[in-house]
Amino acid sequence: MSKHHLGEFEEIVMLTVAILHDEAYGVAIIDEMEQRLNRKVSIGALQTVLRRLEKKGYLSSKLGEATKARGGKRKRFFMLTSYGKKVLAEVKEQRLGLWNAIPKFVFGE
Amino acid sequence: MKNDTNTPPKLPLRFFRWYCHPDYREDLEGDLLERFEHRLKAKGLGTAKWSLYKEVMQLFRPGIIRSLGADQTLNHYGMLKNYFKMAWRNLLRYKMYSAIKVSSLSIGVAACLLITLYVKHELSYDQHFPDHDRIFRVLFEYNYQGESGFDVASQAPLARTLKEHFPEVEQAGRLNPYAFFGVGGNEIRRTGSPRGMHQKHTAYLDQELLEVFQPRMVEGDLHTALVEPRTMVISKSKADLYFPGENALGKTLVLDNKDKAPYVIGGVMEDFPANSHLDYDFLLTLAEKEFWTDEQTEWVNTNYLTYLKLKPNSNVQAFEDKLSTILQQYCAPVLAQELELEVAAIKDNFKFHLQPIRDVHLKSTHTGEAGGGDIKVVGLFAAIAIFILCLACINFVNLSTAKSANRAKEVGLRKTMGSFRIHLIIQFLSESILLSVVASLIGVLLAWWFLPYFNLLAAKALLFPWDSPWFILSIPLFILGVGFVSGMYPALYLSAFQPIQALKGTSGRGAKNVTLRNGLVVFQFGVSIVLIISTIVIHQQTGFILNSKVGFEKDQVILIQGTHTLGDQVQPFKNELLGLPGVQNASVGDYLPITGNEVKRNGVGFWKEAKKDEGMVIGQLWQIDEDYVETMGMKILKGQDFADRENNNLEKAIINETLAQKLGLDHPIGQRMEKGGGDGGNTLEIVGMVEDFNFQSFKEGIKGVCMIIGNSPYMVSVKANTADMPQLIRSIETTWNKFSPKQSLRYEFLDDRFEMMYGDVQRMKRVFFTFAVFAIIVACLGLFALSAFIAEQRNKEMSIRKVLGASVSNIFRLLTFNFIKLILFSMLVAVPVGGYLMQKWLEDYVYKIDLAWWFFGVAGVMVMAIALITISTQALKVSFANPVDSLKNE
Repeated sequence: MSKHHLGEFEEIVMLTVAILHDEAYGVAIIDEMEQRLNRKVSIGALQTVLRRLEKKGYLSSKLGEATKARGGKRKRFFMLTSYGKKVLAEVKEQRLGLWNAIPKFVFGE
Repeated sequence: MKNDTNTPPKLPLRFFRWYCHPDYREDLEGDLLERFEHRLKAKGLGTAKWSLYKEVMQLFRPGIIRSLGADQTLNHYGMLKNYFKMAWRNLLRYKMYSAIKVSSLSIGVAACLLITLYVKHELSYDQHFPDHDRIFRVLFEYNYQGESGFDVASQAPLARTLKEHFPEVEQAGRLNPYAFFGVGGNEIRRTGSPRGMHQKHTAYLDQELLEVFQPRMVEGDLHTALVEPRTMVISKSKADLYFPGENALGKTLVLDNKDKAPYVIGGVMEDFPANSHLDYDFLLTLAEKEFWTDEQTEWVNTNYLTYLKLKPNSNVQAFEDKLSTILQQYCAPVLAQELELEVAAIKDNFKFHLQPIRDVHLKSTHTGEAGGGDIKVVGLFAAIAIFILCLACINFVNLSTAKSANRAKEVGLRKTMGSFRIHLIIQFLSESILLSVVASLIGVLLAWWFLPYFNLLAAKALLFPWDSPWFILSIPLFILGVGFVSGMYPALYLSAFQPIQALKGTSGRGAKNVTLRNGLVVFQFGVSIVLIISTIVIHQQTGFILNSKVGFEKDQVILIQGTHTLGDQVQPFKNELLGLPGVQNASVGDYLPITGNEVKRNGVGFWKEAKKDEGMVIGQLWQIDEDYVETMGMKILKGQDFADRENNNLEKAIINETLAQKLGLDHPIGQRMEKGGGDGGNTLEIVGMVEDFNFQSFKEGIKGVCMIIGNSPYMVSVKANTADMPQLIRSIETTWNKFSPKQSLRYEFLDDRFEMMYGDVQRMKRVFFTFAVFAIIVACLGLFALSAFIAEQRNKEMSIRKVLGASVSNIFRLLTFNFIKLILFSMLVAVPVGGYLMQKWLEDYVYKIDLAWWFFGVAGVMVMAIALITISTQALKVSFANPVDSLKNE
């Protein structure tokens, strides 16, 4: 039982942010998720989760430089905090532990 | 061109910017635009636009939406919060001044609210009748031999005739409440029951009029309740009294012990509400009633109140004008004959009018009208309410501007920090509104607390309108109104300070401001003095009425009522009473020099024998017995009482001074006169003349009275001559029970009844007194605070004066002189105003006091004394203070 509970969607968002590394801003995250996971992601759901994760301290964000595209509006780039990385690693450990505990014949190799 | 069409739609973006949390606004809008541009390329404009709308809606969710109030672009929440905080701190910091502001305002609010309730009740009369705007009462305007006015009574056939002649009349009917016809107070007993009860509110009514008034029927049918002869409709409360737990319909009641002719109850109606000029509990049908031969068809006598209901959208004015045809066709011939006038002259001197039913209560000062409300009194009360509220608001204005120096620095600082004047005005207004909220809440509670006392005072049964919509709606409006009125001037004044002067500490002492304050103090005390003068004058006038010589002796007279049920046993009863110890005299007669229950009145024409052409005098014809004049203690000026009369064939009469004078009889004794009436004229010989006595109200002059021997058995008056009144009452009761075992003895004292006639004047006196006290309290609170302020302001000055040798009395004089000047000035203004108003009020009375200078003197001295006491506390404190205390911390 971890004290940090991550929802499925939250976990995926954090992983995607990790994948994109320096390029993780709203649109890019959506595109990446839709591409890799083949599922529709609504901007509302994503942005709410991003703000929530930031508030919890798993993510941090900073504004980028203004460009001519997107009406001159700056992008907000998200990145994992070390705390976020720790939580993510913990989740992975738990999953692996679960996988390893499954008897071999279940998946019938 | 192409650029234009490819831009993202504005509306969703504007909506987005409005709701979005400001921290996220930029990047999220960027994301939205990027996706829009991407879709535009990939899928075209339509899809891109649609998606933008969708995504803006998707983002409209908690976490993205900004929190309420935290944003300063939408409202001034933070600033308002600060204003209220400052207001609250100021309230607490200057506790005495705040307490005075709040308490005077709450007294003002309470007084105003109570009076509003009263006025609203008075104005609500008779508006509960369905279609009340179409119901009218017929009035008869007369102008004859210098006497003019309106008569409420009209002829018996009028209602029927109006309905027959004019299609506009939907329904018309008559009401007859007069004691002369045996209603307006009866002994009512359930058939078979041993004892009855006396009921005051009885009247005759037409079936058709019942349908005009449409009371809600508890039992029986509205349309048939009074159709049968000898039926009656009674009120719900009386049905419960006489037939508890039973149906009253079809049961019978006996009136005045006439067991052979009971009335059948044709219906039970809801009681008339308190705000109706009709207060009848027993309505007897007029069906097939005829009080004497041809009474129902002749146009001479006027004994009925006629009401009618017009059809919707009738032209009232046009209809009223058409009534002159009725006057000419039916009334003119009779009137002309009766008054010996030309038929043509009738048209100029008499006219029918229609009075809307909602005006009956307040706007009836007609002949033969029982006391109702008075539109003048309502207006007066409303004025008092507004004045008291004004006084309270003035306290607020005065104290706020006086204490402005304390706020000047704050104003200066706020302005330096970038406040506009409007912001400061809003700040000070919100402060006064906050104060108004507090004061109004206290005021409402005060009013609620005082309502029972006020009800006693005004003889009303008002309820506190907690749940009525007008009250709930008007309270916030009222609070805002009072806040604005009292706060506007201080707000404008304070917000106008120049920052530099304010911070240097030189503003807030303008001379203009002092003038205004003085003016307002003069106004406050002027109003108080006028109220005190009014109270004194009303008090004197009431005392004059109740205690001055009234032409008869009202003390120690017992009125035994309902004696008509004794029938021919009245005379033996009277004789037996005369035998009781302590009884000086007794008389059978219900024409008494008071008004009200069971007292009869009439109107008869008199003229000198065979000289009707010289003019007819309308006066009262009273039927009395031989002992009447002596029992009432009336004074015979000329001639003699009936008891000493000689016998000849002529009927004898005693007249009063007024009748003699109006008939032009210098030596009335032995003269003859004739009287009109239903059975033709007959001749009277005048045997005596009594001193004038008051029998109406002092508001009317004394009318001519002619007294003859006759039978009027409703009351027996007993002149007592004993110190032990209870014992006498007991022995009268024993005698009564011997004669009338089925009916309880009912008696009143003549002097009580006399005082009741002037109940409304007494009430007015008390109300004036109460509100004068309120006004003085409010004014004195203000004066106290102002004197405290002046004392505080001039503390150092006074200390220095004292050090330099000023005496205590010098300093006291310096501090009080200014206020005394103001109060003297307000007297100067108030005395003529009060005098004028009271002169106007007294004009209603034929018998009245003269305004004496001492009324004004007493009012002035009283106010001066109260004011002096008020300011002295502060002035003395400063005068006796040790100068060191105020000078040491320089």
